[in-house]
Amino acid sequence: MSNSGNDDGRPGMLTDFHPFAKVSVGQILGLVEAIDEVGGVADVATISQEVEMDVDRLGPILDAAEFLGLMTVHEGDVRMTDLSRKLLSANVRERKAILREIIDDIPDFRMITDMARKAGRPLTRKEIIEALSAHVGSHRAADLFKAMVYWGRYVELLRYDSQSEELTLRTPSK
Amino acid sequence: MRGLRRWLRLVAVVLILAGIVTAIAFPQAAWNAIQLPLFAFFSTTRMVIAYLFALVFAIAYGHTAATNKRASAALLPLLDVLQSIPILGFFPAALIFFVATFHGHPIGIEFAVVFLIFTSMAWNMAFGVYESLTTIPADLEAAAASFGLRGWLRFRYLAFPAAIPKLVYNSILSWTNGWFFLVASEIFSAGGTEFQRPGLGAFIAVAGRNGDVPSIAIGIGVLAAVVLTLDIFVWRPLGAWSERFRMETAPGREIPRVPSPYERFRWLPRLPKVRKRIIARVQPAVERYHRLSMRFERAYSRHPKALREIRRVDLALFAIVFVVVVATGLVGLVQMFLRPLPPNASVLPSAAVLSFSRLLVAYAIALVWTIPVAAMLGESEKAARYLTPALELFASLPATALLPVIVGFALLIAPSVGAAGQLAAILIALFSMQWYLLFNLIAGVRSIPDDLKEAARSFGLRGRAYWKRLLLPAIAPSLLTGSITAWGAGWNALIVSEYIQYAHQFYEVPGLGSLLNHAVYPTPDNEMLLLTILTMIVVVLAMNKLLWRPLFRRASTRFRLEV
Amino acid sequence: MQVKDVAKSFFENGKEFKVLDLVRFDLSERDFVCVVGPSGSGKSTLLRIIVGLEKPTAGEVLFEGEPIRADNPQVAMVFQSFALFPWLSVEQNVELGLEAKGTPLEERRKIARKFIDAVGLTGFEDAFPRELSGGMKQRVGIARALAIEPLLLCMDEPFSSLDPLTAQNLRDEILQLWTNPDLPPKAVLMVTHAIEEAVYMADRVIVLSSRPGRMIAELEIDLPRPRNRKEPEFYGWVDEIYSLIV
Repeated sequence: MSNSGNDDGRPGMLTDFHPFAKVSVGQILGLVEAIDEVGGVADVATISQEVEMDVDRLGPILDAAEFLGLMTVHEGDVRMTDLSRKLLSANVRERKAILREIIDDIPDFRMITDMARKAGRPLTRKEIIEALSAHVGSHRAADLFKAMVYWGRYVELLRYDSQSEELTLRTPSK
Repeated sequence: MRGLRRWLRLVAVVLILAGIVTAIAFPQAAWNAIQLPLFAFFSTTRMVIAYLFALVFAIAYGHTAATNKRASAALLPLLDVLQSIPILGFFPAALIFFVATFHGHPIGIEFAVVFLIFTSMAWNMAFGVYESLTTIPADLEAAAASFGLRGWLRFRYLAFPAAIPKLVYNSILSWTNGWFFLVASEIFSAGGTEFQRPGLGAFIAVAGRNGDVPSIAIGIGVLAAVVLTLDIFVWRPLGAWSERFRMETAPGREIPRVPSPYERFRWLPRLPKVRKRIIARVQPAVERYHRLSMRFERAYSRHPKALREIRRVDLALFAIVFVVVVATGLVGLVQMFLRPLPPNASVLPSAAVLSFSRLLVAYAIALVWTIPVAAMLGESEKAARYLTPALELFASLPATALLPVIVGFALLIAPSVGAAGQLAAILIALFSMQWYLLFNLIAGVRSIPDDLKEAARSFGLRGRAYWKRLLLPAIAPSLLTGSITAWGAGWNALIVSEYIQYAHQFYEVPGLGSLLNHAVYPTPDNEMLLLTILTMIVVVLAMNKLLWRPLFRRASTRFRLEV
Repeated sequence: MQVKDVAKSFFENGKEFKVLDLVRFDLSERDFVCVVGPSGSGKSTLLRIIVGLEKPTAGEVLFEGEPIRADNPQVAMVFQSFALFPWLSVEQNVELGLEAKGTPLEERRKIARKFIDAVGLTGFEDAFPRELSGGMKQRVGIARALAIEPLLLCMDEPFSSLDPLTAQNLRDEILQLWTNPDLPPKAVLMVTHAIEEAVYMADRVIVLSSRPGRMIAELEIDLPRPRNRKEPEFYGWVDEIYSLIV
């Protein structure tokens, strides 16, 4: 199922931010809720039927959820992890905090936050895209940048002004 | 972006070098050139003033037409007529009116010039505002209403932003129009007198009359530089910025990322105080307008019967006034026709036919080259990238400014003086018409969905069949839009193209345009002036009603690409 | 606090097209009411009449004893198409209703931040709608409605432009917000065509027939919360409503 994760789904082992490119927070949380509702484990076909989404659309969401360590995918069976149970019982604030820790550790994401920290000034979109292009190739850099801004905003680690196209670090509110 | 900059640098270097060479070779021209920055400044100022008036007019007119059903019943047809008549024909009358109002003071001419430019800018912008306001999604309107946005707030957060994309797009068109009329109007004859104001247009025209080739070149060069500078520093950034104000039609549809205009505008002073002061001025006006209309609305809903009575009386009064005005007009007209027509009135029909056929030839030439070029540019990214900037630069030069060059060219290749006049007239019409066709067609080709093209290819449609079954039907609506605008421009071009003074010599071809010129100079003949304008309006309106309107209706139902 | 609805029907240009006929119900504090009906039942029209965007041809809507007005700050609306202003940032969108009410800037910002945070959008204050996913957009719509601190929140098919996962996640978050009595509103009225959704969320379901919309039934859903869509009782309700409509 996943091309970037490994089977035990530990987030620390993952390097690439790319599963997030087309996935939203709501979709991942919705998926976790759906699997919880059918008892915490299900095969992909059942989930696909349950949530009325074909595997084409479900695939990236599963990838991203696995990547975050929220589920494990093994021989077509999707299983909830302790982390996702914790996430389900948490409120909006706590959910953000949990996801923040994971996102912050993703190397691609780290690369950008480190860059911003070192620069000590706002980074421009152009700079970041260039840095990302060197890493993943230019055709994916723009998508990746969009995904990073989206998730970085969600976990309150990044602030991005799309008018001046400048990215700054942000301290999460408590 | 970088390619463009490099390209510009190249152009600048070439221009400067050319300038130095000409300055050494022709000292007189160099002296002229020193005045040019000042002339450029005067001309641009006229354009800016006219544009500001047009902007305010367009917003007020479009907004009223879009929000007030009763008013729109009168405002829209009026706008339609205003948009289709050749305004240059009315310029002599306007000029005489303004000059007389200001007792011959030059300020009167300035007013007339600004007024003419205004009339060339305002109508399409007003239509743009009207269209954007009537296509605001219903839910957004409902949201604005349910969150209590009224008056100023509604204007600021809903109506004005919603109008921005079309307003910017139409402003760009309006400026192109405006340059055409600016150049034509800075030096103009009316009522047996020639009026002139210092400016780029007058400079080029005078240089043309004297056959002063270096001055013509420098004048056109400076005009091109001004147009290009404005395009790069104002219109392109504004165009990119206006993308932010587009509605998202379907959820999840990607909006093309636009380059940041902030970079471009960083050199501008921010002027927060001025902005505040402007807002402080505008806000009460909008509020007052809104309060007034609210009060009217409330009164209307409270006393519907009394108001219906008042309206009936109103209507009756209006009808009486209307009848009186029309009757006097008709009586005047009948009297005019009852008098023996001026002897040269008999040439009017043949002049109209001649002018029309010249435009037809120009239109045919324009079609022959623009359709294939548009097909190529619309389908090949690469060709578009290299050719479009050059075409846009060329298109931004008004045909009126190119007039001396065109005449010079015509003299060079034509076998006789008479043929040169004909050729020049057709070429000027061509240069006024072709760009509208080209850019509309490019947009039309681009709007063909990729899957449709692929489907056509996969079914083996190629060559003639591809053109007949896909390309031509698909671009039919944009071809019509382009044609209507092109013909509108063509009728205006007639007035300057049929009677030309170049290198101390007159080149004249029979037609409505030359009749108009003879009617105002050297001996004024108001009767002929009026008759010529009337003939022109009759032809234009007949074409609009009998040809374009029905065609447009058919094209927009049959050939529309539903996406 | 009550919304009293007497009776309504609706006409259109000259001819009479009955869209809604004699719909009546009450809404009181802590009510979460869903109106369900097939397409053509005029349920969206009903909602637009209730918030005062359209006028009923007969009957009237009373809000705390007074006829309803479109810009009544005690009633807020959430739209199916989100209806966000594309040129305003998330924060400006949320502040919109407050600005119209004349709330001073400082306070406006404070209130907007509070509701942006409540719907989980902190971090997106400066973002523009086009930079958000569908679920986030609808969160802005909800925050914007809550920010004017309405007594009644009206939602018109709020989940039907979202994908199923996002929709389910948002439903749960709205229910979570609803359980917090410190947050407005005091009552929710939601229109939907999805029967499961109505049973999942509402305390009371009003069922409309089609063409014209007539009230067929008013059902109290007494299932305990949080509800599980897999339980037989849940399905019992869904089946009952289906059988009423078909």
